[in-house]
Amino acid sequence: MTTIIMKTTARVVVPIVLVVAISLFLQGHNLPGGGFIGGVLTVAAFTLVYVAYDLDYLEVSVLERDVDPGTGIFEHRTVTTYRRLFTLGLAVTLASGAGALLFGAEFLSQTFEYVHLPLFGEVELATALLFDVGIYCVVVGGLLAIFSVVGAE
Amino acid sequence: MAPERWIVFTAVALPFIAAALLPLGYRLLGERVGYAGAAVAAACFGLVASLVGTSGTVSTPWIPSMDVAVRFYVDGWALLFALLASGIGVTIFAYSARYMHGMPNLVRFYATLLAFMGSILGVAFASDLLVLFLFWELTSVCSFVLIGYHADEAESQFSARMAMLITVGGGLCLLVGILLLSSAAGVVLGGGAFDPTFDLAAILATETSEGSISAQLEDSGLFLPALVFVTVAAGAKSAQVPLHFWLPRAMVAPTPVSAFLHSATMVKVGVYILGRLRPLFGGPEWELLIAGLGLATMTVGAVIAVRAVDIKELLAYSTASHLGLMVAAFGFQVHYGAEAGAFHLLNHALFKAALFLVAGIVAHEAGSRRVDELGGLWRDLPVTAAITGVTALSMAGIPPLHGFYSKELLFAAAWDVAEASGGLAWLYPATATVASVFTVLYSLRFLWLFLGDRPEGLGSVHRPSPALVAPPALLAGAALLVTVLPERAIDLLVQDGALATATAGETVSVHAELPLELSGPVAMSLVAVGVGVALFPAYDRVLAVVDGGYRLSRAVHPTALYRGLLAEIERSSGGVRRWLHTGLIRSYVWWALAGTCAITLAGYATTGAPPAIAGLGVPAAMVLVLGVAVVAALSVTATDTHVTGVLTLSILGFMVAIFYILASGPDLALTQLVVETLLLLIFLLVIEELPAFYGELEVSVAVRDAALSLVVGATAFVSVLLVAPPGGGSLSGTAKEYVERAPKEGGGTNVVNVILTDFRAFDTLGESIVIAMAAMSVLVLLAMRGRGETR
Repeated sequence: MTTIIMKTTARVVVPIVLVVAISLFLQGHNLPGGGFIGGVLTVAAFTLVYVAYDLDYLEVSVLERDVDPGTGIFEHRTVTTYRRLFTLGLAVTLASGAGALLFGAEFLSQTFEYVHLPLFGEVELATALLFDVGIYCVVVGGLLAIFSVVGAE
Repeated sequence: MAPERWIVFTAVALPFIAAALLPLGYRLLGERVGYAGAAVAAACFGLVASLVGTSGTVSTPWIPSMDVAVRFYVDGWALLFALLASGIGVTIFAYSARYMHGMPNLVRFYATLLAFMGSILGVAFASDLLVLFLFWELTSVCSFVLIGYHADEAESQFSARMAMLITVGGGLCLLVGILLLSSAAGVVLGGGAFDPTFDLAAILATETSEGSISAQLEDSGLFLPALVFVTVAAGAKSAQVPLHFWLPRAMVAPTPVSAFLHSATMVKVGVYILGRLRPLFGGPEWELLIAGLGLATMTVGAVIAVRAVDIKELLAYSTASHLGLMVAAFGFQVHYGAEAGAFHLLNHALFKAALFLVAGIVAHEAGSRRVDELGGLWRDLPVTAAITGVTALSMAGIPPLHGFYSKELLFAAAWDVAEASGGLAWLYPATATVASVFTVLYSLRFLWLFLGDRPEGLGSVHRPSPALVAPPALLAGAALLVTVLPERAIDLLVQDGALATATAGETVSVHAELPLELSGPVAMSLVAVGVGVALFPAYDRVLAVVDGGYRLSRAVHPTALYRGLLAEIERSSGGVRRWLHTGLIRSYVWWALAGTCAITLAGYATTGAPPAIAGLGVPAAMVLVLGVAVVAALSVTATDTHVTGVLTLSILGFMVAIFYILASGPDLALTQLVVETLLLLIFLLVIEELPAFYGELEVSVAVRDAALSLVVGATAFVSVLLVAPPGGGSLSGTAKEYVERAPKEGGGTNVVNVILTDFRAFDTLGESIVIAMAAMSVLVLLAMRGRGETR
């Protein structure tokens, strides 16, 4: 699948997909979208990179780091990062839920506040967004960990 | 006087906390952590001892909606058991610190031993039936870990598994008994059979008043089932015939474990619960079942102990026999029964723990545990020999040692019952006497390890270190103390313990004095001791007779039955495996889908008739989209390469997404689109690994798969029909509520998202945990594949 057509398409499409994913994620509270959808779309973008190039492409060519080829896939830095990501995501969801306990509310109850920011104007800050960040991280980390390991087989 | 709440809770929780901190302690202290364990046990002993004289319930709510609370009930019986567990625990930990010198896995060993002691204290004090069950099973689990201490030896594995299967199986019977009891209690004390009450203290309290729970059980015909289930549970735990065979097997554990678990504590749990429930279940059925069971075990255990070749095996069978004695005592419906049971609980724990520790010393110093290879050890081990002298004679029930008093009480109970009932009831005292003859025989045999001739083959015997001898000496000292001042021990502990196990109408007053005139029970003692001592010189001939009987009955030995049962289970599960566990993903998928559909459809079938299909007003656009989806689905089956198959399949997926848009579910549509895209990408990722063509399709496989597809489709169809809201496009009450509340309380106009992140955030959290778990499973499975897990 690593043809020129594929690579060129991936180059053009991936940034757009990522931006769309982030916007879907952010607008989720009021418009269609949210943590899960944004997460899956992000995963799709990364998977496209893997299909068109390979697992080390991001590390080597984009971030210009050296990849140690000796260790197995499970110790691979990318996989470790994804593993950390979904662990972090779970921690964030749990913490955002437990945070409500500090204010005397029940576990996982959410609240929101409107604040005025320069440039953006009236912006709604919802604790639900924090929860959604956690979901997003779990989806991205979990799915990509699976794909990168399975894809390396 | 009511007990202090914090003392009870601390006493039970302390061993568990100590077990959790043990790895840290091991870092700091090394092997001396055993003494820290002894200190913890001593602290528990002190806490429990400070409760002596108090009685009452302390509790803290756990599951209030189900009336489950962590309730602890303090009375004489609980205190007696808890004092024994923690007191003997002190000596065991001190002994282990020396005995387990240089052994591996000490952290696991001590932590489990501590957790075990905590569970025993929990069982002793538990007054909530569910909490009791919890601690009860914890003792089984800890025991499993400790028996399997030598985890890489087949013998250990076999014995640990056997103990686990028997005692946990018994625990399940206890659960059934508990549920029967609690639902009957619900009728008497609460709102009805479906409002169960788990408060054991309250249940027992009704026995003295009108409308008792045992009467309720009898009315509903559940008295006998409840009694039998509890008896099986207690019998499995306390090694009663025919479930006694796990106990001798458990002797593969290190000796301190044998001394603690399999003589003084864990096996007493069954006796303890029988004593606890005696006031509730007491009656003619109880007497027949429990006393019969106990006496049978007492005899069988004593007879097999005589032919034991290993000193630990001898002690193990003797333990079973003495447990039988206690069970039988509680079986008898006279006041002597309660007295004998409570008193012997104390006596047996003292002498048996000491004897096990002695056996450990002998094995450690003489290098052998075989009865025929040992003898004349008193010259090499004088202090140990003195300890054995006191404890073995006490085990035999020789006056004036303390074991005599409790045995005499049992004889009195058996005699009284026989005198009152007459006829066949005379079998009770007869059996008890016969069992005691054998008890005297094997006790003397154990003593002869020290007194008899020194065999030729026995090499040099080392002097044990004082750290090994001190714990059994302490126990023997306690035994002597009870011997010299029996009335003092009775006043302190036994009287209150026996009171708690007495049925209504029994006047319990424990006495221990040497009989000065001949009576029935005294005659029984005389016969037992006399015949035992007289037969001892002819031990070999007795052994030959016993051996002959043992061989004749080989076919019905429970061990053989157990092995046969296990082999049968393994064979039949192997048969099932050939169907289910083929190693092919497609067969797993087949079974999983078929099972899910079967269960779902069965569920629908039991709940009633399918709803009528109403309002088929589907817009033309939807029909078109769904039609394309159907065509795509059909053409997937006709494709001949993977790429076309995948692409056709994604047509179906995208059509479904469009359907969602038409049905005004933009969030769903987005999700469907994104997931569909991702699936396509995954297929592209793995497509090179798949075989290029499908090969020949067998007709039978095709038919089977087609049938499954139809069933899955039908299930989905029926589910949608049942779940979908009634037609007409109006929102259901729940939906309206969500739509109204989302902007106000969630601050978002996307109702779906507000539901996901706020109203039903718990569901979302669960789902995200599922994703993380799936990722971890994939990582683990793939990582383990290369590790030679071939068996």
